[in-house]
Amino acid sequence: MRWKFIFFVLLQVALLVGIIAYRQYWVATGERILLRTAPVDPRDIFRGDYVSLRYDISTLDLDGLGAKGSFKSNEKVYVILEKNQEGIFSAVSVSRGLPSGKRFIQGRVQYETTLSKWEITLKDDSENLHELKPRWFENVKRGDRITFCLDERGNVLHFYKEDADYRPKCSGQSLSGTIEAIKEMKSRVLNVEYGIENYFVEEGKGRAIESSRNARELRVEVSLRKDGKGIITGLFVDGKLVR
Amino acid sequence: MSFRKEDFLFRRILEKEMDLWLKEGIILPDQKERILARYRLLKRADEKAGPGKLITTISILGAILVGVGVILFIASNWSAIPNWGRLFIVFSSMLASYGFGFYLRYEARNYPKVGASLILLGSLIFGAGMFLIAQIYHITVHYPNGPLLWGLFVLPLAYLLRFKSLISLAILVLLIWLGMEAHLRALYSSTLQTTTMIPLFFMAGIALWGVGLVHREWEALKIVSSPYILIGTLVTFLAGYLLTFNLYGGRFESSGLFVFYPGIAVLFLGAVIVRCLPGEKEKGWIPETLGLAALMVSIIALSLFFPKASATSVRGNLTLFLNILYALEIVGLIILGFIRKYPVYVNIGLLFFALDVIARYFDFFWELLPRSLFFILGGLLLLFGGILLERKRRKILSSFDIEEAGG
Repeated sequence: MRWKFIFFVLLQVALLVGIIAYRQYWVATGERILLRTAPVDPRDIFRGDYVSLRYDISTLDLDGLGAKGSFKSNEKVYVILEKNQEGIFSAVSVSRGLPSGKRFIQGRVQYETTLSKWEITLKDDSENLHELKPRWFENVKRGDRITFCLDERGNVLHFYKEDADYRPKCSGQSLSGTIEAIKEMKSRVLNVEYGIENYFVEEGKGRAIESSRNARELRVEVSLRKDGKGIITGLFVDGKLVR
Repeated sequence: MSFRKEDFLFRRILEKEMDLWLKEGIILPDQKERILARYRLLKRADEKAGPGKLITTISILGAILVGVGVILFIASNWSAIPNWGRLFIVFSSMLASYGFGFYLRYEARNYPKVGASLILLGSLIFGAGMFLIAQIYHITVHYPNGPLLWGLFVLPLAYLLRFKSLISLAILVLLIWLGMEAHLRALYSSTLQTTTMIPLFFMAGIALWGVGLVHREWEALKIVSSPYILIGTLVTFLAGYLLTFNLYGGRFESSGLFVFYPGIAVLFLGAVIVRCLPGEKEKGWIPETLGLAALMVSIIALSLFFPKASATSVRGNLTLFLNILYALEIVGLIILGFIRKYPVYVNIGLLFFALDVIARYFDFFWELLPRSLFFILGGLLLLFGGILLERKRRKILSSFDIEEAGG
């Protein structure tokens, strides 16, 4: 009985030690790269005591990367990375097979979607032309009279047709005029998960990182295994390591 | 001289039984006294030992509190403790509670119940350790693996020691794994809603129940059968109860969850086959096994074929069908409890019967009656229903001639 008990307890210890050893080996032998994080919708970012991370490489512009065909959810993909002058790695292409002779990170497809970007030309009442890039622009045609509400930097917050029943007030500056041209550019976007989307921190510390995140630059150091799987080894806010 | 638990139980039953004999004139009062005198030592030991269940409950609660405390301590001193320090705390506290628990229960034998709880604590810290390691290395990929490994690595220990507490822990953790894994798959399959997990848990409950029955027939495993049967019946009836509401709107299943079906079905089939092997059987085993098999088959058939039948009339009939099925389950369970003199079945059956009455009352009368009358009638129904159920329950239980606590 005693020896059997010791054996089963040691089995549990062996499992824990095995997980630690495997991860430690990965950290020690993997290749370190730096990734830039992308802003996250602030309603969704902080749960419990970890920081939820999105990266520039979490959303891939498939047309820009020259990828053909469509991707299925949960499919394994390899994103080929290249270092820029700042030492940050970014995506240069995406493939389904294991790339050889290149640096890459392995991920899983969440979903593929089509996103539209708009470029609108607006002629104001003094006949000046303005270029605007709203995030959403539908049910409007050339010649309609539109009012755009803008933030301090001139980005479109929302807009309304001047003959519409519902005309939400602009809190900041606004721009009214007639639509001269509408250019819609559709692009295929791939959302990819790499297993490095959570960074655990001390209780209560996550919120501080979150709140400073979108203002400051957040970089993540990742250790890459030979098959491209990544593990987070450090989080840098403005170049300073966070513990 | 050391006593076994069964000895105490025997003495208590004997005393009760002799009261009956006395009433029926089989024995005389002084004969009763003389017989009881033979077991005086046993009585004294029993009184000294105190209420065993209370000790077990208190020490299990203690184990859980300490386990939670260890996790919180490490979580709130994150930056003050280096990685190796956190791991040291986990490993040392886990090994210490396993070792000390084993010593108290099996070597010194002076605090067996506390020893058992310390071993439970060791298993809790083992699970906590796994999650802490995941945090230290920021592991996020496929988090359901955590509870899966936890449950699978606790099971061998549970069977070696035959601890109900460890078996319960393993079953609960594995059920949590099932929920997490199913939820994750649900994210990848577009048509799934949380409600489609209910049939899956229904199946898991039936399978656990079946496995528990096999354990009960096996002398060596009898002692650990009750967690399987209890958790199995509760999960089955809870799922069956949820199915009586019209939650579905044509989405009874998700193909994303089909991957779990073969495993659960094979587990259940194995249990049925073992149960059909020749040997001594308990009363009513054939209708019970057949009933469970019928439930399993109907849930699998509905999951596989219902979504294709999308006509509204079919959906309406399904709600009716599931309600009838649920009512049959309750009646079957109570009858089984009766035949087998098994109070747990009767209690669970009556509990879910009461829940069903409340739910159907809301379903049917909420629209029909003015609000005030609805509440007054509902309240009266509950009050009288409560009295009626309680009386019926006592009558049934006393007809078993078993003390409620002892059962």
